[in-house]
Amino acid sequence: MRSPRHDILDQWLRAEQADRADEAEAALAALFAALPPLEPPAGFADRVLLRAGLTPSAEPAPWSLWTSLWVRGLLALPLLAIGISALWLPPTVHALARLLSVSDLVRWWTASLVGACRWLGSFAGLWDFFLTVGRALATPLETPAVALAMVSCLLVSMIAFRFLRDLITHDRSWIHVDR
Amino acid sequence: MLTDAELVLRARQGHQEACREIVVRFERPIYSLVARMLQDPAAAEDLAQEVFIKAFRRLDTYDPQRKFSSWLFKIAHNTTIDYLRRHTPETVPLEAEKDGDHGSLAKVLADGSAADPAAGAERRDMARALERSIALLRPEYRESVVLFYLEGASYQEICEATGLPLGTVKTNLHRARKELAQHMTDLGWGPAETRGARAS
Repeated sequence: MRSPRHDILDQWLRAEQADRADEAEAALAALFAALPPLEPPAGFADRVLLRAGLTPSAEPAPWSLWTSLWVRGLLALPLLAIGISALWLPPTVHALARLLSVSDLVRWWTASLVGACRWLGSFAGLWDFFLTVGRALATPLETPAVALAMVSCLLVSMIAFRFLRDLITHDRSWIHVDR
Repeated sequence: MLTDAELVLRARQGHQEACREIVVRFERPIYSLVARMLQDPAAAEDLAQEVFIKAFRRLDTYDPQRKFSSWLFKIAHNTTIDYLRRHTPETVPLEAEKDGDHGSLAKVLADGSAADPAAGAERRDMARALERSIALLRPEYRESVVLFYLEGASYQEICEATGLPLGTVKTNLHRARKELAQHMTDLGWGPAETRGARAS
């Protein structure tokens, strides 16, 4: 059975043979109208924008409080005031220093030193515990039979791991992903 | 929905979303034109991208009084003609494409909605024949056919895009139609009585 599209094709070709230009043009237009145009590949627009350098940063920045000149001016004023007040900083520090005695400073320094030593002592105790555990574990390994058993176990587990890995990744292929 | 002119205005002001909208709105006709002119999908995408990039760079030269699509087709025309000049001799698919007919009319027509496999095969064959016939046209005829029949452009728009006078565009379209018919007949798609005569 002939399709309607085939009939249109015949109509166009007959009109061309008979030099009926208007009819031929209409038939060809009808034939092409039934054919959807080509679609660009997916993601075409993204690739164009990327290539054109039209990244999101090209978008005008939205209004922000910090971009306002008035806000910047208001922030600059206190900073300027702080800068000017720095002139009074040396006499203020001098007055504060007079409030603290040398004995207070020595006492504070000694207390800090004692605290640090205590902390180091507790750390040394923890290290001693780890050393004890390590020695306990290493003692059996000094026996050749135990060491051999340990090495054998390690080898068996490595081979088993390799087999397991091959089994898991056997059917995987990037080709399946790409297609 | 923004008009084309409004979109261009926003794009000129640096709005990325406007640029994206321009691409989305015109990617199909521009790609369709370039792909049919080049007959090479990979090169077509690259060149269609170039058309939009050129358009974005020259947005300030666009006259809002003119139709934006015509302006864009003009850039597509220039870019494609430049490419064809640089890449001669032009290749024409003489044999039916097998797996490589990505995005072709054959692919478009060979949709799974066809209930009758024979009808589907016939539509695919017809589309391939049309595709080959279009490819066999000389570039200026091919461009006019694609713009007029596939993109629905008016004579005036084709004139603006190609820079040809109205009379030449009409003549090109007339001759292109004649050549298309001849190619289709040569490929065995002539009217039934012609096919019968040739078979006997």
